[in-house]
Amino acid sequence: MTAYGLAPLLLIFPAIGFFFNALFGRRFVEADSKIGERWSGWIATLAALSAFGVALALFATLQANHFEAMVVPVADWIVIPAADFAVAWAMRVDTLSVTMMLVVTGVGSLIHIYAMGYMHGDKDFSRFFAYFNMFIFFMLILVSGSNYLVLFVGWEGVGLCSFLLISYWFTVEKDGKMVNADAGRKAFIVNRVGDFGMVLAIILIFWTFGSLGFERVFESAIEMTVHQETVHFGFFSAPIGAVITAIVALFLLGATGKSAQIPLYVWLPDAMAGPTPVSALIHAATMVTSGIYLLVRSNVLVELARVSFVEQGIGIFGVISAPDLIALVGASTALLAGLIAFTQFDIKKVLAYSTVSQLGFMIAAVGMGAYVAAMFHLITHAFFKALLFLGSGSVIHGMEHGHHHIHHAHSDDHPSDAEEFHDQEPDHFDPQDMRTMGGLRHKMKWTFWTYLIGALALAGIFPFAGFWSKDELLAHANVNHSNVFSAVYWMLTIAAFCTAFYMGRQLMMVFFGKPRHGAAEHAHESPRLMTVPLVILAVLTIIGGSMNLPNISFGGGAAADSHAVVEEGHGEEMVASSKGLTLALEHWLEESLLIFELSEEGGELAAYENYEYPHTPTTLVWVVAIISTLLALSGLLLAMFVVYRKRPLSATDPDPLQKLKPLWWFRILPLETLYMKTVVPAFKWLSDWLAFTVDWNFWHDFVHNNIIRDMFVSFSTFLADVFDKYGVDGTVNGIGSVTKGLAGVLRKTQTGYTRSYALGIFLGAVLLLAYFLWFAF
Amino acid sequence: MSIILSVLIFFPLVGVLLILIAGRKEGRDEAIKWIALGTSVITLLISVAVLIGFRNGFPGLQMVDRFDWIPFLNIQYFVGVDGISILMILLTAFISMIAILASWTAIDHQIKTYYILMLLLEIGMMGVFLAQDLFLFYIFWEFTLIPMYFLIGMWGGQERVYASIKFFLYTMAGSLLMLLAILYMGITNNSFSVPDLIAGRDAFASAQYVLFIGFAIAFAIKVPIFPFHSWLPDAHTQAPTAGSIVLAGVLLKMGTYGFIRFNLPLFPEASFDYAPAIAVLAIIGIIYGALVSFPQKDVKKLVAYSSISHLGFVMLGIFSLNAAGIEGGILQGVNHGLSTGALFFLVGVIYEQRHTREMSEFGGLWKVVPVFTALSLVVVLSSMGLPGLNGFVGEFSILLGSMGAYSLGGHPWIYTAFATTGVILAAVYLLWMFQNVFMGALKNPKNEKLRDVNKRELVIFIAFLIFIVWIGVQPSPYFNLMDSTVSTLVNDISATVLVGQ
Repeated sequence: MTAYGLAPLLLIFPAIGFFFNALFGRRFVEADSKIGERWSGWIATLAALSAFGVALALFATLQANHFEAMVVPVADWIVIPAADFAVAWAMRVDTLSVTMMLVVTGVGSLIHIYAMGYMHGDKDFSRFFAYFNMFIFFMLILVSGSNYLVLFVGWEGVGLCSFLLISYWFTVEKDGKMVNADAGRKAFIVNRVGDFGMVLAIILIFWTFGSLGFERVFESAIEMTVHQETVHFGFFSAPIGAVITAIVALFLLGATGKSAQIPLYVWLPDAMAGPTPVSALIHAATMVTSGIYLLVRSNVLVELARVSFVEQGIGIFGVISAPDLIALVGASTALLAGLIAFTQFDIKKVLAYSTVSQLGFMIAAVGMGAYVAAMFHLITHAFFKALLFLGSGSVIHGMEHGHHHIHHAHSDDHPSDAEEFHDQEPDHFDPQDMRTMGGLRHKMKWTFWTYLIGALALAGIFPFAGFWSKDELLAHANVNHSNVFSAVYWMLTIAAFCTAFYMGRQLMMVFFGKPRHGAAEHAHESPRLMTVPLVILAVLTIIGGSMNLPNISFGGGAAADSHAVVEEGHGEEMVASSKGLTLALEHWLEESLLIFELSEEGGELAAYENYEYPHTPTTLVWVVAIISTLLALSGLLLAMFVVYRKRPLSATDPDPLQKLKPLWWFRILPLETLYMKTVVPAFKWLSDWLAFTVDWNFWHDFVHNNIIRDMFVSFSTFLADVFDKYGVDGTVNGIGSVTKGLAGVLRKTQTGYTRSYALGIFLGAVLLLAYFLWFAF
Repeated sequence: MSIILSVLIFFPLVGVLLILIAGRKEGRDEAIKWIALGTSVITLLISVAVLIGFRNGFPGLQMVDRFDWIPFLNIQYFVGVDGISILMILLTAFISMIAILASWTAIDHQIKTYYILMLLLEIGMMGVFLAQDLFLFYIFWEFTLIPMYFLIGMWGGQERVYASIKFFLYTMAGSLLMLLAILYMGITNNSFSVPDLIAGRDAFASAQYVLFIGFAIAFAIKVPIFPFHSWLPDAHTQAPTAGSIVLAGVLLKMGTYGFIRFNLPLFPEASFDYAPAIAVLAIIGIIYGALVSFPQKDVKKLVAYSSISHLGFVMLGIFSLNAAGIEGGILQGVNHGLSTGALFFLVGVIYEQRHTREMSEFGGLWKVVPVFTALSLVVVLSSMGLPGLNGFVGEFSILLGSMGAYSLGGHPWIYTAFATTGVILAAVYLLWMFQNVFMGALKNPKNEKLRDVNKRELVIFIAFLIFIVWIGVQPSPYFNLMDSTVSTLVNDISATVLVGQ
């Protein structure tokens, strides 16, 4: 069975859903909100589900065809024959892209269903679902594009959807500021800083390899590196290693934007201004993982950058290899964001920083060459973080209804307008503030139990999905020896402890203790449309780890075992395990990750003396598993049963952590504050100064009006005087008096004087021409 | 020999005559509008006929119409079309039609004169893009000034007179040196025909560095390249909507077209040697234009300054002197005509109802005029260079060209990197504008009564959007039109300049 040709349907379904909602949705909803919502929501959801069906068909096709990758051309795009440039709209179906398709459409469909419940009653219901389908459309372009430029179309497209959805409630203003619209704009602009890197990287790839198609780029990259060629284009030349390092570094810049890493993570916490399903789908499960997808897709380039550093010392400023930099950026982001998450009171902000932190784990994995582990964590994270966000949405929904309930009891004229309902509560009650919650486990049972599962998975508790993926990643860092890897290992381990702690804190503040606000007291469970997706995601979170279980060996000490694994490497262990149920994801993804083939015996990269591909251990590394489990448990327990056991007692009670000044310092967002105090005002000042002082007052008024115009006027007046004085004949006199008259009148700028100017200029030109010809001939 | 190009250039004269006849009696304003519109539509159809007859693989001039005009000065009437001009004439015909349609209700006095001037302007612009004799070119070039001068001066805003005089003088002063250069070459070579001059360029090769500047200043003012842009914000803010659409859509392209048509083939060595300097000015323009756009309070002025930024890209592409850069530059010229033309149009739609363009007067329009907002969003995104829309294709080709440019020395990536910051800055000022006009709460009660797009406006928007999407998704037919001419031009320059290098 070959169904590769179905790939374009993947895009057609969401496109249909988008056009339906964009063109007719509003009329449907306005005509009859109940039926309209049903049509609008279900058509969008069906579009996503159909795309999921197509992804499943592609999955089956790959299984049936020995995982053979296929490029499905759709149409030509940019073709410039004279420049030998040709890029096509083409889709690549391989195990990596299909994995992403399944995540995007699978989790995406669940969130569509949830959103029908969450967005119920919103006036712009159909606009929301139009954006949602548009997002699925662009995200699928991103993951299915067969070349870097099509990938970039998706990359920017999802950025646009992110902007539109963050600022979805764009009418909201707080203190005269359009908070939601500002957050959306910020996301777009910060992402564009990353796109700057993407555009340059793509152009550099074209001039270096003569193509943008993944296959050809990787093939020529390997060949040029093996032969240590020099890259030439224009008068530019550089060793191939340096160019690849530059490309990978530029991709890293792109990834820091899209996947919210240091120094560009600042947009993601603000992005929580969007409706919660948006945070779950775009800002947790899918779009923000694009940076990881990009780097995993480019695994060959990343490894070749490592080769160039190890073999020839070509790195970034000669100091560090590009992959090591990626690993360090990821690990420091994981740690920093983990610390900031301690200090947040907004239920969604905690999850937002947690997302930044978890993305840091994945980025670090990519930098260490653990591509499968990165993808594994990407998938499990998509499950449990979507679950957590949807759970938090359910909590917010419950709190809003609780608040509505008590408010309604006091005054009957509360606006039922859904938009205000979400964001403009008259007494500034914040339904997302965890300090006002508490005790919700009794009110919202489904939400609580599913949330608990998500939180335990995120904290890395056995046997939930998060445990396996995080452990694989940490094991990789632990068994491959280098200074950078050790540093990364410890940073991530501490970050994992932080994760457990802030999740324990959140669980306590939201679900345990007693309600600290009337809204929490009157909160109630959300409708089925919302809880069913929660349950499905919870099941996925429980069993998700099984997609890439390691082999478990009980023989020998843990330390000795880990060494054995590294020495044995890939060969035998794999053969032994491939028949079992373990490492399914690895075997599946291997088919798309060229690096596995290259680093095998006889592969192009196997012959290097110093370079060795850092393999991921295929057996459970006991020491790592035990350390991280102990840390996770102690983090959770410390938070739940020591620090937050009794406090906060009321909504105004300070956080127990507030006493820890150095920790609380992270609340003021180190980079955010820096940007808001330096880059932003500097930009505003510079553009203001250029626009009004330089361009207008100086260049426009002073130079043009005062110097050029007035000098011309005085000069012509002078000429007129001179001519007058010496009594040159009447013609010239005439001109003289005309120009003389200009002086006074020009300031009043009346019509008619153009003629005089023109005449003056024309005569000047004639004089010049005469002069010119006189000397030329 | 073919007369179709001459028909294309002068067909609007038929409309002018009909308007003169119809306008002899009062109260025929509607008829005059329809005559003007009909004329511009037929002109567009003629230009499409030219497109159908156009052969893609042929690099030289096609459909040539050529005869002696002033024999004793070797001046010819010589028109022809090739890959460099074909898109320009289509753009001219399209934008002229749009401009006439956009004036329908905005212009309410001296209607007869207005539409006559619009049609005359179209003649001038067509002539500029089709003339292959330098003297003829110069006449058309200067001729375009006159209708534009009156369009700004008679139907413009508060300071229209100042703006129109400045526009006129600035461009005319720039053209004078070009006239000298033209005369010099005409005299040395006994011909003003461009192909002849290119073939005989050795005769003035020693003076090419001076001659280049003669042409370059005229074109640089027209484009405008930083720092010759001072006339632009005045002209744009004072011009009526249609005037701005034509100005941005076509008149600025006369400058970039001039560089490609004359400077590159006539003075290849000078072009190559001046390329880094011009590229630097272009990049300053990209960044400066974007920075200066951001704090503008008048939406139209913001769009006007953004033109400086966009045209910077075009200039960078042209002086990359390779196929990707030049073809990207030409296409980006078209793209700018579409997206900036559409931006001016949408500003005009609001202005017509509210008689103000101050950004602070607006906010929250999305809730009042949702269709208009959605259409505007696409236009804004096109101007921002969102992939999948037209602006991206042009910008990307230009940046691609600049990195591979021989003309930009050993580290062309530095130019590319600086130019690419324009991508970030465009998002800054355009999103700022979009947010302040359309998002937020509707606070100004005057905006509550705004009406959403009417049929005429919808037609105009859709006309723009068709091309915005088409070029974004399928630009190949556009590149194919110019590929062979540009390829020949680039090879000619390379062969001349890169010998021995």
